[in-house]
Amino acid sequence: MSILRAIAGASAGLVFGLSAASLTHAAELSFLTHWAPETVAKLEAAAAAYSQNHPDTKITMRAVPFGDLLTTLRSSGGSAHGVTMASIYDAWLPDLVKNKFVAPAPDQVASETTKNWPASLVGAASAGGALFGIPNEIDLYALNYNKKLFAAAGIAEPPKSWEEFLADAKKLTDKAKGQQGFGLINSWTAGVIHPFASLLVSNGGDLVVDGKPTLDTKQAKETFDLYEMLIKSGDSDPAMGTSDANTTGPFLDNFVSGKTGMIIMANWWESALKAGMGDRFADVATAPIPVGPSGDVSRSTSYTWMTIVNAKASPEEQKEAWDFLNWLNGPRSGQNGASAMGEILMSMGILPSRNSDVEAFKDRLASDPFLKGYVATLPDAKAFPVVLGGQEFSESLQKTLEAMEFGQLSAAEAQKRAQADAAQILERAAK
Amino acid sequence: MAQRMNRPALAMLAPTVVLIAVFVLAPMALTIWLSFQDWSTQTGFETASFVGLRNFVDIFGPTTIGRDFKTALFNTGIYTALSVAVILPLSVAFGLLVYQKLAPGGVFLRTVLFSTYMVPMIAVALVFSKLYSPTEGPLNQILGWIGLPPSPWLSSPRTALVSIVVLNVWQQVGYFTVLAVAGLTQIPPVLHEAAMIDGANAPQRFASITLPLLGNTLLFSAVIAIINAVQVFEPVALITQGGPVDSTNVLTYHIRRVGIERAQGGLGSAMAVTLMLALIVSIAALFAFAQSREAKP
Repeated sequence: MSILRAIAGASAGLVFGLSAASLTHAAELSFLTHWAPETVAKLEAAAAAYSQNHPDTKITMRAVPFGDLLTTLRSSGGSAHGVTMASIYDAWLPDLVKNKFVAPAPDQVASETTKNWPASLVGAASAGGALFGIPNEIDLYALNYNKKLFAAAGIAEPPKSWEEFLADAKKLTDKAKGQQGFGLINSWTAGVIHPFASLLVSNGGDLVVDGKPTLDTKQAKETFDLYEMLIKSGDSDPAMGTSDANTTGPFLDNFVSGKTGMIIMANWWESALKAGMGDRFADVATAPIPVGPSGDVSRSTSYTWMTIVNAKASPEEQKEAWDFLNWLNGPRSGQNGASAMGEILMSMGILPSRNSDVEAFKDRLASDPFLKGYVATLPDAKAFPVVLGGQEFSESLQKTLEAMEFGQLSAAEAQKRAQADAAQILERAAK
Repeated sequence: MAQRMNRPALAMLAPTVVLIAVFVLAPMALTIWLSFQDWSTQTGFETASFVGLRNFVDIFGPTTIGRDFKTALFNTGIYTALSVAVILPLSVAFGLLVYQKLAPGGVFLRTVLFSTYMVPMIAVALVFSKLYSPTEGPLNQILGWIGLPPSPWLSSPRTALVSIVVLNVWQQVGYFTVLAVAGLTQIPPVLHEAAMIDGANAPQRFASITLPLLGNTLLFSAVIAIINAVQVFEPVALITQGGPVDSTNVLTYHIRRVGIERAQGGLGSAMAVTLMLALIVSIAALFAFAQSREAKP
């Protein structure tokens, strides 16, 4: 009988223990990003700091190459067991919202975000009036050039107009040395279309207005013609512009090794340039995008990234995830009023977007010779269109531009095809 | 009586049949069903709506959907044809080389050839992307030493697909060489000896004895090489991302882009079904060709 009582007691203890364990069940969150290992380590350190005050929350990081980010998100996010949080590019948001993949932010997070971020970024992270992500990085494009090559070619200052830009590209080109004046990028969607879009908006044009493509305008024609001139003159060699899945490859190698005089790229590649060039990074300078004949002021294309929460995660996981993201992007997670996210972004040369982060880093942003040029273009930057079917539209325009670069289409044919394809894609996606 | 005898056999076959049904037939049937639906891969199957043949009309139509699919289909066909056309003769040549007993080192050579097959694709992709680098890659430096102009390799739509084929041949040829050697071991030496007594030289013996008797091995190799080539994905995803100008966009990569990245599950399934049908037709044609040759007196 005593044995039976002992067994019953042990069973009750086990049941109680299991119940207690389930009541204090730790939330296991995962965070998907495309950042490099050294940056992921910083994110892990931030998550560890958060877990000190939230011992029941365990956060793991998962990193994939940029080229696989959307696919990984799509393939693993359709279930409750997918990643809990993910870093996404704003152009992907409308389709992810349409597919009910992303969870709307709770009221408290939405109100805090609305209060602390520029309205344009809150708009880019919203759909149908609801906020779906906390914005973090803001990226924009500028003209990067090699000061040594400029000096060797007798060019005193960076080009301000397309006329000067073409003239400088010619002076910088030296085929005997395998040197090109201006570097195009191919085999990577953003690398192809963002520089094109930056030149287009600096010529007074737009890719999309009110959900309709505007690639049939005079401004767009002049931009297509500019590309054709660069290629036909040999001042841009498309074969030197290949990119791989990690957004590195020959286009980067050629700029790093001084074989490309000018290129239009985003602020975030500062860390890649520093890693590749070492001390020679001091030769790199930044200037505003040259203004086209139909433009009035130098403009840049900008886009943002944000962190979203998986709508299929459990309510508890979603709550914990938003709490972590709010802390990560808040002024108490970093030093001197900066957020931990702001510090991580600045370590990569990426501009943070929270108002208090911009304030906390204003001295560095004003003094960093590379980033200064990007910060200066911010007021006149135009956001890359965030529309349904945006990714397909981008890939289609990429192919058309590449076809023109490699001589398969003339500028006029490319413009006609780009407009027709974009109209078809955006119309289909909007249904 | 016969029924009673069949029961144990059926019981023993059942686990395998069930496994095949669950893991092979059901996904295939599901893909075929989805190819007639409008369905987002981000939603449950209950959201799929029947659209008849519209997905198939779209993928062969004049829109961007059709243009991109036909390009991917064409690229896959070229990639497969080139891979098979190079791998098979090369594997026979290497097979003869390592099987011969005139010089030592056959086993060592066989090991070296097969080792390329064991290297993970991620490593192969990393190495080849550097080898192919147009300005700093060693391949162009070698071309320069022998007075040839540099090749753009992966950086031009004219050469990118062929560059991927070269990578595939480099990795796969060792495996097919081992198959060829296995086929060569099945040829009785007495046939060659009799032919030599009759005065046949080496090329005559190869054409009249070796090649005909390697028929079954070559048929098997061709089938495997076609299936492997049609399924090419990693080098494209790791190195070229389908570019430049879609020149390396093969069907598996395109289906992933459409079906997963854009969540267009119905269209992706229609593409997968078309790929499957193309593969079935190709393999059936190959067997028919082999049978017709065997039937000849």
